Amino acid sequence: MTTPATATNAFAAVSPLLTRLAEERATGALLRDRGTLFLEDGRIVHAESPATPGLDVLLTTGGGLAPERWREAVDRAGARRQVARFLVDSGGLAGGELEICHVAAIFDAAFFALSPGSGPSRFRRGATHWIGSVRSVPAAAVERETRRRRELLDAVWPYPLLDTAPVVPRAAAPGQTVTARQRILLDRADGLRTPADLAWLLGRPAFHTLLDVRRLAAAGLVETPHSPAPPPVEVPLPDWMTQAQSPDVALLRRLRDALEASL
Amino acid sequence: MPGIDECLLEAMALPGARGAALVDWSSGLALGTIGESPVGDHETTAAETAELARAAAEYESFACADPGPAHGGGTGPVDPAVEDLIVTTRSGFHVLRFVETSFDSSVFLHVWLDRAEGNLAFARIKLRSLAEGLVLR
Repeated sequence: MTTPATATNAFAAVSPLLTRLAEERATGALLRDRGTLFLEDGRIVHAESPATPGLDVLLTTGGGLAPERWREAVDRAGARRQVARFLVDSGGLAGGELEICHVAAIFDAAFFALSPGSGPSRFRRGATHWIGSVRSVPAAAVERETRRRRELLDAVWPYPLLDTAPVVPRAAAPGQTVTARQRILLDRADGLRTPADLAWLLGRPAFHTLLDVRRLAAAGLVETPHSPAPPPVEVPLPDWMTQAQSPDVALLRRLRDALEASL
Repeated sequence: MPGIDECLLEAMALPGARGAALVDWSSGLALGTIGESPVGDHETTAAETAELARAAAEYESFACADPGPAHGGGTGPVDPAVEDLIVTTRSGFHVLRFVETSFDSSVFLHVWLDRAEGNLAFARIKLRSLAEGLVLR
């Protein structure tokens, strides 16, 4: 049985390079314009994206983890690449909570890193992240979930402009239910903040905020924009991201080995 | 310090347990799964149970809108006033237990039990302690 071309495209790999790296059981960082995926033996162990709040924001915004404790963990265990373990061992965070937040952050960052406009991919073999090992997810599961999330957004309310435009609340109809979580989001939507701004402010994953905004728009509680939104302002990568990149250890090792071999 | 896997393994130790999952109800993501799914695919089950959990967690009739005294409003987590959801079918029980975390999240534990062997009251108590164990420091 042959599959029509359109259907094949819909099921095409989100990132052929990621699929190949997973098959090779590669270790390193897959860098794309909108985010980075860290692999260990072909499984995804961490992900981050400038489009999503990092673990620090997710964990500290609600007050559950004091920002000082996060900084202490990064200062004391960052160089050893065991920040996650330090947070749990020092009693800052429950092991289960850290896993829940970390897995959610992986899928959140991967959604943006693997988005179609995320540009070409590069792979830095051997690169690891300072957060350390928490939990790993199969690359195939991340690709499947990323595809499901794209479809879910459009199934809820197919207006992609909502993802980048400022969120403009509308008055609820008489008798219309606005839930507690929705009210918290709407209270902070001042007509200027975009879903990404709200995600940072609320300490919620960026995809969750996109989804909530689409649901609110579908319910008529947020304006659906009809003209294209202004292009998003380019935000330079924060220092903690760029400084987190380690020297390319694998490359240095190969160089050293080659030099030694030629002696 | 139990993690997700240990928690799901313990849920599977319940009499009559056929499958269990830790699911995010906002997005429908399965954070962890074990055993069988009623439809043969854990990801589909997670998306479906998430819809049910979201309705229960968000509608005012179940989840009282005012935040609990512990949080006092603000951007902190909304107290999930709903503790658990139980769905009984001719052949099984489904118990969904909400997990309260110290940060803003939307997570619940789901266990699927065989009706003949499962014990609903015991499962409820066990899931409560498992949900508390996940966030115990």
